[in-house]
Amino acid sequence: MFPVEESTGAAERGAGPAYSWRRPELILALTVLGLGGFVIAGTAGVTAAGSALGLGPRFFPVIVGSALLLIGLFYAVDVVRGGRGDPEESEDIDTQAPADRRTVVLVSVIFLAFAGLLNLLGWIIAGALLFFGLSVVLGATRRLHTAVIAILLSTCTYLAFVKGLGVTLPGGLLSGVI
Amino acid sequence: MDSFMLLLDGFATALTPVNLVYALIGVTLGTLVGVLPGIGPAMTVALLLPITFSVPPASAFIMFAGIYYGGMYGGSTTSILLNTPGESSSMITALEGNKMAKRGRAAQALATAAIGSFVAGTIATGLLVVAAPLVVDFAISFGPEDYFALAVLAFTAVSSVLSRSVVRGLASLGLGLTVGLIGIDQQTGQARLTLGIPQLLDGIDVVIVAVGLFAVGEVLYVASRLRHSDPEVIPVGRAFLGRSDWSRSWRPWLRGTALGFPFGALPGGGAEIPTFLSYAIEKRLARGVAREEYGKGAIEGVAGPEAANNASAAGTLVPLLTLGLPTSATAAIMLAAFQQYGLQPGPQLFDHNPALVWGMIASLFLGNTMLLVLNLPLAPLWARVLHVPRPYLYAGIMLFAALGVYALNSSWVELIILYVLGLLGFAMRRFGLPVAPAVIGMILGPMAEIQLRRALAIGAGDVTSLVKSPIAAVLLTIALLALFTPLIRKWFARPSRAA
Repeated sequence: MFPVEESTGAAERGAGPAYSWRRPELILALTVLGLGGFVIAGTAGVTAAGSALGLGPRFFPVIVGSALLLIGLFYAVDVVRGGRGDPEESEDIDTQAPADRRTVVLVSVIFLAFAGLLNLLGWIIAGALLFFGLSVVLGATRRLHTAVIAILLSTCTYLAFVKGLGVTLPGGLLSGVI
Repeated sequence: MDSFMLLLDGFATALTPVNLVYALIGVTLGTLVGVLPGIGPAMTVALLLPITFSVPPASAFIMFAGIYYGGMYGGSTTSILLNTPGESSSMITALEGNKMAKRGRAAQALATAAIGSFVAGTIATGLLVVAAPLVVDFAISFGPEDYFALAVLAFTAVSSVLSRSVVRGLASLGLGLTVGLIGIDQQTGQARLTLGIPQLLDGIDVVIVAVGLFAVGEVLYVASRLRHSDPEVIPVGRAFLGRSDWSRSWRPWLRGTALGFPFGALPGGGAEIPTFLSYAIEKRLARGVAREEYGKGAIEGVAGPEAANNASAAGTLVPLLTLGLPTSATAAIMLAAFQQYGLQPGPQLFDHNPALVWGMIASLFLGNTMLLVLNLPLAPLWARVLHVPRPYLYAGIMLFAALGVYALNSSWVELIILYVLGLLGFAMRRFGLPVAPAVIGMILGPMAEIQLRRALAIGAGDVTSLVKSPIAAVLLTIALLALFTPLIRKWFARPSRAA
């Protein structure tokens, strides 16, 4: 399920062979297939408590799991036979550009670090770091400008949501100050 | 006439000063977020959902109605003024709208979109007022097997119609159904697929799924292929229409409305098909100047599809409010919003909470009017929004995504779940899996399961009880047709493509 790991878009767009086992999309198809197995196996321990008619809590998961196995199989066959979906278009997407693996990994690392440190650092500091880090990774050049916006944004959202809307956000290191 | 009185009561609810302010906030936020590039209506609604949590239900839905129409409207501004392809429902508007803007007619393109949206939205909301009670009267006799058949129809229609590849649509649906299974089974209290993680016992909140698939998925996808050139935004002044533009626009508005409303109300109909049909019809009907201009920026090609887009947004509310059946990703998130308040849309909602439903419908009329008043003079402001530097935009989307999810339960584990769903959203975009079936499967899956088990329990386990009611039999037949028609077509088309 980690599609970043493999080939770039440019290479794959070429007129490659119709049959191929080395398509990145195959990982997604196999994920669907594997998930089908997981749904069926994962609910095996759920004992049908109430009903003798086979309509217990496993009934629907088994249907979904079997459907996933079937769909995953067709999907994998389609991918191997050369079928492919169209990458989604969006305003800021350059579909011709090769996949930029590094940026995706950096964005992931920054976000996961944010999730891990949020309670310790508090929303204002962690949020500012998240915004700053992501902006720089995504190509912001004026560091000082970015830092000011990051601090303003995280402070304003904290004040608006905690004081204004009554949402709970962690104060963290600054909890005594603000 | 009964529903007319109820609608008047709804206006009484919606016209209180507090609720007017909520409607205004909703419309403004919806437009503002909807204008931002890369953010479609579904993501707008998902990102703004957490804001409504601290508001009483009636006001929250009034605000929500504003967000819904505002988000729809914002998307068209983006596609007219920004010189890049956008998400599918506003892509048709961009065909002629963007060319009009380039020829210096951006003000007229925006005006015909705004007024057309107003006209279509008002007529279609009126149709909603007429149609909703009729559907409620019809649906009051629905049994569990009928609801199950409806859900199945929604599943197959959304998977096969919205996607060029049926198997990819179904794969997306399956992923959504699986996510919907996670958590405690509502009937027996057994935990399913929780992997021993206590946070998963209550299931994955739909806000996390929607924000993960739409917002985080989009940011990761953009990170992988960010357009590094500066965005080209076409400058625009106050939006207005000249006399000839009025006479060229009003017929396409009405035709677009007539197309959009029924398609919006159908499962799998969505906004894509009616906007495209409207574009094609206006092209065929074009005479004189319009014919010459078509392909170079004809106002008819903006007026029709924009009206169709907005009318379908109102049409979507018919099955959503009367049957609890979402027919688009945006509607699925709206359904989730109802569930957050412990409300289940369906025939009973009109009986039990008439003030809320009719207040919301009345505020759709108000929101539409507010959008018109807001957007004609504010067009230059929205154009400035399009200049937001992209690194800040996407970093900001991530920040608000994290905020919305953390605000739910103050849990960092849910932020990790958000990220995993974001990765899934990224993979789905990258490989062309539509996101809508996943969201609809996740929300409608648990309901389908309950109705299926109920129907089979009533029928003592006899599978044929699922097709005993004629309504269920017809719906399931249509569902099968929706699923297999593209497959059969593809089967016949395959030899020619391989050759």
